[in-house]
Amino acid sequence: MTKGQERKKHPKKALKKTGRVLKPELSYKVEVTDKDGRVIQREEGPSRSYVRQWNEIFQLQAGAVASGGVVKDTSGATQTNAYRTSVCFKCDAGIGYTLNGLRVGKSSTPVSISDYALGSPLAEGTGTDQVEHQLTYFTGPSVVGSTLSFTMQRAFVNHSGAPISGIQEIGVYIFFTAAMMGRVALGFRDALGSPFSIPDGGSITVTYTLKVTA
Amino acid sequence: MTNLAELWYSVTVRDQDGKVISRERRKSRSMLGNWYRILYAQMSFLSCSLVGTNGIDWGASWNQDNWKFKASADEDYIGIVVGTGTTAVTIDDYKLATQIMHGTGSGQLRYLICTPGTPSVAGSNCDFLTSRVFLNNSGGSIMVRESGIYCRCKGPTYYSYACIVRDVFDTPQAVPDGGSITIDYTLRVTA
Repeated sequence: MTKGQERKKHPKKALKKTGRVLKPELSYKVEVTDKDGRVIQREEGPSRSYVRQWNEIFQLQAGAVASGGVVKDTSGATQTNAYRTSVCFKCDAGIGYTLNGLRVGKSSTPVSISDYALGSPLAEGTGTDQVEHQLTYFTGPSVVGSTLSFTMQRAFVNHSGAPISGIQEIGVYIFFTAAMMGRVALGFRDALGSPFSIPDGGSITVTYTLKVTA
Repeated sequence: MTNLAELWYSVTVRDQDGKVISRERRKSRSMLGNWYRILYAQMSFLSCSLVGTNGIDWGASWNQDNWKFKASADEDYIGIVVGTGTTAVTIDDYKLATQIMHGTGSGQLRYLICTPGTPSVAGSNCDFLTSRVFLNNSGGSIMVRESGIYCRCKGPTYYSYACIVRDVFDTPQAVPDGGSITIDYTLRVTA
């Protein structure tokens, strides 16, 4: 039977909706406050976006990969012996810790699926263009109505003695394991709609919300 | 809101000669709350509540086995699973409505291996495909109406299995005796 004959014998049936679509979403909010805690700049929006390492690390877990997984880390090195561990996706960074957790940076380069790091992440410290990284912390998953969500948040304080301007990117660095070592990969990254500026003594706070709605 | 992490499924039914007799492909509905509960546990290194496929809340915490849905043949408690239920999907579903179990008895299908593939990048998409084939050697036709994914999950004390995806088909799929049904799930992230 040819494909055409097969199609005639088994015509496409009209699609009917069954149940509702559960919609997974990732969104962010960025707020800058001055030294008195007053909000002076804000942006909210849908995230753009997850990058390839997200799926690659997920595959390590789903496929119970014991060795040989391939994931590019934030240094640009391709790790060829990645495997599943309990730390995959871990990003609960402590104070002053920049290896993982939420990060901010100054690059305005649009997001690409193959991004492996922020374009120009701010360093930890109180020097020029440096910020003090606070905890990356989470609110637990909760169901309200037909939505389940949880959030992750981190504040970055400017004690550099001068304003820090041109902050245009945010993202998350997540752990994975390769060659017996803890490695770090970019999970998602967003280029902001407009540049942010943090006054001296002020802070910038990034909040991501991960949710799925029925 | 932009939807940049999408799950798609496709269903292919073949007769005993391997000829395709029915196909359906569409966006999954969908990732359940349990998917995000495990994600929370992994990202935060904290525990949270999670009801397993046995109906008991053994919770979720960070563990190397979390999300594992690679499955061997015959294993009907992990990997892609199928059923006959038609109950609408809700966010807190913790199992299929009516799972078809592994076997060759009446109303049973033989579960083959479930293999998560390697992610691939094409354009601005990164796709991660997982497939499973189910054979009907029951002696009669079987109507499949739902599919999902069960994965391994570790709570603070016990291991369990969690339903992280469930879909009710738009078109029920009749699998003839001697035939098969293949379910593909693709997790797509797009930049």
